[in-house]
Amino acid sequence: MKKLNILALLMFIAAVVSVFMLDTPTTRMIQSRAMAALSPFVHSSAAIADGVSDTLAAPLDPREIKQEYDRIQIEVERLRIISQKYTQTLEENNKLRGLLEFKQASPYKMIAARVIKRVSTTWWNAMIIDKGLLDGLATDTPVISATGLIGKTGKMAPHMCEVILLTDEMCRVSAKIEGTIEQGIISGERAGLDMRPDLRLRFLNRNAIINPGSNVISTGEGGVFPAGLLVGRVKRFENKDITADAVVEPVVDFSILEHVFILEAPSEETQPNK
Amino acid sequence: MAHYATLLLPPVFFFASAVAVPFPMMLFMAFITGFIWDARYLPSASNTIKSASGSLISGSLATPELVSASGFGFGVSIILFAFLGTFLQGVRPLFKRGRLELPVLLVGVTTFLWLLLEFLMMTFLRGSLFFPGAIWSKMITDTLLAMLASPLLFLLLYSLAGLSRYEIKYDGLRYSFDGR
Repeated sequence: MKKLNILALLMFIAAVVSVFMLDTPTTRMIQSRAMAALSPFVHSSAAIADGVSDTLAAPLDPREIKQEYDRIQIEVERLRIISQKYTQTLEENNKLRGLLEFKQASPYKMIAARVIKRVSTTWWNAMIIDKGLLDGLATDTPVISATGLIGKTGKMAPHMCEVILLTDEMCRVSAKIEGTIEQGIISGERAGLDMRPDLRLRFLNRNAIINPGSNVISTGEGGVFPAGLLVGRVKRFENKDITADAVVEPVVDFSILEHVFILEAPSEETQPNK
Repeated sequence: MAHYATLLLPPVFFFASAVAVPFPMMLFMAFITGFIWDARYLPSASNTIKSASGSLISGSLATPELVSASGFGFGVSIILFAFLGTFLQGVRPLFKRGRLELPVLLVGVTTFLWLLLEFLMMTFLRGSLFFPGAIWSKMITDTLLAMLASPLLFLLLYSLAGLSRYEIKYDGLRYSFDGR
């Protein structure tokens, strides 16, 4: 082997060792900067993909657009009425809470974001949204849609963020089966590459009586996700050596997501104490 | 779409280039490609949160939703790229003669091996050997896409070498013996 090759190999080993010795905050900072540097390419590739799919899509019929517009108008009116009633109920609820000397339970603030692209490159289930650090997001924040829990935020760029989906093994949620005392940790299967992979609720009691179709909701005891978020529905129950697993179908169809909401955790002063 | 299979352009570009450059340059490219790949695609680890002083459980057990490791550490891709790039250095003489069949085949083989090694490490470090059918379909489709794209990348490399007057010569891992 030539001297130059040996020297190159030694320098390579030294560089790899120094990379392995980087601590978690440093690697997160590197990943954040890499994502920020690549964000123009991600945005532009998503824009090109959108443009191509719009071009290839069949032209819309004006009559269909009018019908859709009318339907949305009616829906907006209906939701406006529901919103007014909700506000009245909330005010009444707050008055009654005041009478009972409960502290104000502040609802979670939500930040809306658009899904830019689904990350299909690796073994991890993730997607990229168009909000980031400068929009007020932070790592490990819950992400939801109108139907249920989607996942949590991961790597951050100034105006872009990666969401680790619930279908990934790395996204773990402390969850329970509604109407029972059974609770465990729910997460995706390893390399869940199907369009709508099942989830697995682990560490359940072997003798638990669980009906298929029961709702699975977050418990709020795990450190990241608040309580009461709908995760999925039980498909079947499987006994293991010591504990049991419930196979859960997620309520969210991850392949058609366009918009998501990121929960902003309430500050400690506004958190309910009762 | 076979289980989110896609053309993995940075690794395929690296594997195609690994047969065209000398050994030190291959190592440099393996470092850059692996570093950028992990920086972009490896999920970020959560900071470990210490539990309250009075708690019976501590560390990540106190906050089971915070995962401190993604399966393998930042930088593992660098080693995988260097290992597979060294393997590819063996077909440099064929590449120099302009024969693309074997290099194209080996780009496919290395892409498949890289994906397999990555998955094996992840599944081993997470505590169980688990092989769902979907991973094979993704790996095979990714490999075929890499093999389809690699002749174009080889032509691009030849063009770049021509433009920059770079001579693709075999001096990588040659053993020299001076007779003494």
